Amino acid sequence: MNIKDVFTPFTTWSKVVKDPVTIKNPIGREAAPRYRGFHKNDIDVCIGCGTCEAICENQAIDLVPVEGIETKSGDSGLRPRIDYGRCCWCALCVDICTTNSLNLTNEYTWVDTDPDAFIFTPGVDKKSWDTKEEGWKKPVPNYHFYGQTRVPMEELHAEERVESFVEFVKGYSKKQAEEEADRCVACGICTATCPAHMGIPDYIAAIRNEDMEEGMRILYDTNPLPEICGRICTHKCEDVCSVGVNGDPLSIRWLKRYIADQIPADVDKYNEILYTKDIKNNNKKVAIIGTGPSSLSSAYYLSLLGYKITMYEKLPQAGGMMRYGIPEYRLPYDAIDKDIDYIVSLGVDIKYNVTVGKDITLEQLHEENDAVFAGTGLHLGRSTRIPGSDHENVYQSVDLLRDIVTGAEVPVERKVVVIGGGNVAMDITRSMARLQKAKYGEVNIITTSLESEDIMPADREEVVEAREEGCTIIPGYGPQEVMIENGKVVGLRVWKCLSIFDENHNFNPKFDESDERVFEGDMVIESIGQGMDLSYLSEDTKKGLEFGPRGRVQTNDNFQTSLPWLFMGGDIIQGPDVIHGIANGHRAAMAIDDFLNQGR
Amino acid sequence: MKEILDRITPKYDLQDVSIKDDLQAYVVVEKKLAIDMVTYMRDYEGFSHFVLMSCVDWIEDNKLQLLYLLNNPEKKCVIGIKVFIDRENPSMQSAHHLWKQIWTYQRELREAFGIDFPGSPRIEENFVLEGWTDKPHMLRDFDTNKYAEETYFPRTGRSTNDPATYMRQKLYPNQPVTAKKNKDDE
Repeated sequence: MNIKDVFTPFTTWSKVVKDPVTIKNPIGREAAPRYRGFHKNDIDVCIGCGTCEAICENQAIDLVPVEGIETKSGDSGLRPRIDYGRCCWCALCVDICTTNSLNLTNEYTWVDTDPDAFIFTPGVDKKSWDTKEEGWKKPVPNYHFYGQTRVPMEELHAEERVESFVEFVKGYSKKQAEEEADRCVACGICTATCPAHMGIPDYIAAIRNEDMEEGMRILYDTNPLPEICGRICTHKCEDVCSVGVNGDPLSIRWLKRYIADQIPADVDKYNEILYTKDIKNNNKKVAIIGTGPSSLSSAYYLSLLGYKITMYEKLPQAGGMMRYGIPEYRLPYDAIDKDIDYIVSLGVDIKYNVTVGKDITLEQLHEENDAVFAGTGLHLGRSTRIPGSDHENVYQSVDLLRDIVTGAEVPVERKVVVIGGGNVAMDITRSMARLQKAKYGEVNIITTSLESEDIMPADREEVVEAREEGCTIIPGYGPQEVMIENGKVVGLRVWKCLSIFDENHNFNPKFDESDERVFEGDMVIESIGQGMDLSYLSEDTKKGLEFGPRGRVQTNDNFQTSLPWLFMGGDIIQGPDVIHGIANGHRAAMAIDDFLNQGR
Repeated sequence: MKEILDRITPKYDLQDVSIKDDLQAYVVVEKKLAIDMVTYMRDYEGFSHFVLMSCVDWIEDNKLQLLYLLNNPEKKCVIGIKVFIDRENPSMQSAHHLWKQIWTYQRELREAFGIDFPGSPRIEENFVLEGWTDKPHMLRDFDTNKYAEETYFPRTGRSTNDPATYMRQKLYPNQPVTAKKNKDDE
């Protein structure tokens, strides 16, 4: 033993008078600011997309309904509930959260004698740490589990596209489509918003799996017009895409087009992929009036069930407004033909240039068939009926759009004024711009609408693209008079529109008469909405039907009228857009099958 | 770091050299040269501190990748020595004689990835999982979820909802179902 060994124990006693380095009572000690403790969730921001549950390696998260939170478009109404018997505080749920509503606080101490207390729904079951700001949050920006920016779509430049009616959206390449598909978190929130409730996450997964044939089968489950819808769908699904809450929403429409574009225009190939080579006939017949989206959709789904379908089209080609209303630069004819050719290949007979009510009566169709579906669309233009609107140089947009397709002579003046703020107004504006460019080498169009810029019903991209092509869009003005001098149209006189609807939500525009403008023009095109032509309904038939506001035929939820054999759908009942028509036609087809098989 | 790499690259026929920065580099060395290189780095290049040893399962290539991470306290630099071994019946020369703590790492790797280190002390003993009889749990083809479901009982009172299915039930329960065609119908 040396002297050091003797004195060392006593040196320890010198510590007695020093402050301890340990904490006397560690309970309640604040954790580090980014410590990963218990969850909190802003349930007003959360949309119940379930990505937190999907990523949780420990299956610690359930999605549960919460009282007071409604299930609606864009929100499942579910909220995550955490089982702390399984949670390992890895915070993957926070890092993937599409809305950034889910966070971990730095609270980590909690004592309870009830083990079930450790399963709770953050934000719903109130906790002391709900107001804490410290803890683990997704370190935004630049920290994302999925791409925030959509893969841009290649398009022709405005100067090039206004030169012709050639389709200007080029479509995704394989690499682009797979990259875009990779951004999908497969939550399925979009499916409820799609009027046809398409299996969107499933067909996007098919792109990731490079299985286009499976993608086609998923598309055709709910939508037999994928080439068409892949181009001109109003894509409401994208408005609610969970990835779009903190980034660009998925390009769902372009991905749908990508799948359809990969399959060659060969009806045999379609029949092979969709297993429809040999459908057994059930010896029942259904007549369909019109060949628009609702009619084609019902024809397709009825054909799958073995019905013999005869369609009646008053124009020389099928497609309805899709062909005769939507310009070729947005929806080329070969895309329309590709979808329709496959439906025709199932045995559907289309009788062209036959007007029901004139060449054949609805009653005859009823006699010759077991049921009738009418999807005759809105093909009549509506007039503003302002002074001068009866001049011969005042046109309806639907008539001109149809004439462009049929090849009829279309009047193209040097200065054109269009009245309307919807997609059809944009279609005629941009179509006339192309015709002006071809005829005069320049674009000179003013399009005006009652609605101000922020509430114009046209898709935003349509307005932007029209302006890019040289069209002038001046929203927020109400037409008062088509000005005529020496028998010729010289312009449109407008007043500033202050409001469109009155306090009872009735259409009753208010104007500021002091803010008057005149838009110069040699011709005026009205595009303020369309009406239906139900002249094929005889007086006797009408007696059996119920009519609602604006002369609209009333149907039940399955698009069956009060004449049980007559079903109606599409724009004349609900819409107006292609995807609603497709959904209507599908539902009506299933209801016709029910009606004919069960006598309902 | 570059000087060191210039010396050892030809000596050990290094196949893949990745310099992260001035103080950090990773190299891939052949299995038969790996422990010799680790020893050389310790004894001649000043990497006297053994930081850790780990493994990655490259299931697609049917390989396991061992990593020996060494630190040079004087130059404050780190080198990661990677070596790929076969995934079937994996075995690697033991390095327990170089640093004593490698005993423990090798026991852990045997339990987690099934890698044998012949001659390593107490290598046969359980590391964490007492009485483990299933396949090594860190291999990527070990199905953790299946194991948990077969081994443990579920907690009562838990149920969940798929958002899309739930929204369908709530918002559009009567959505028509297509008479789905499948291959057998042809």
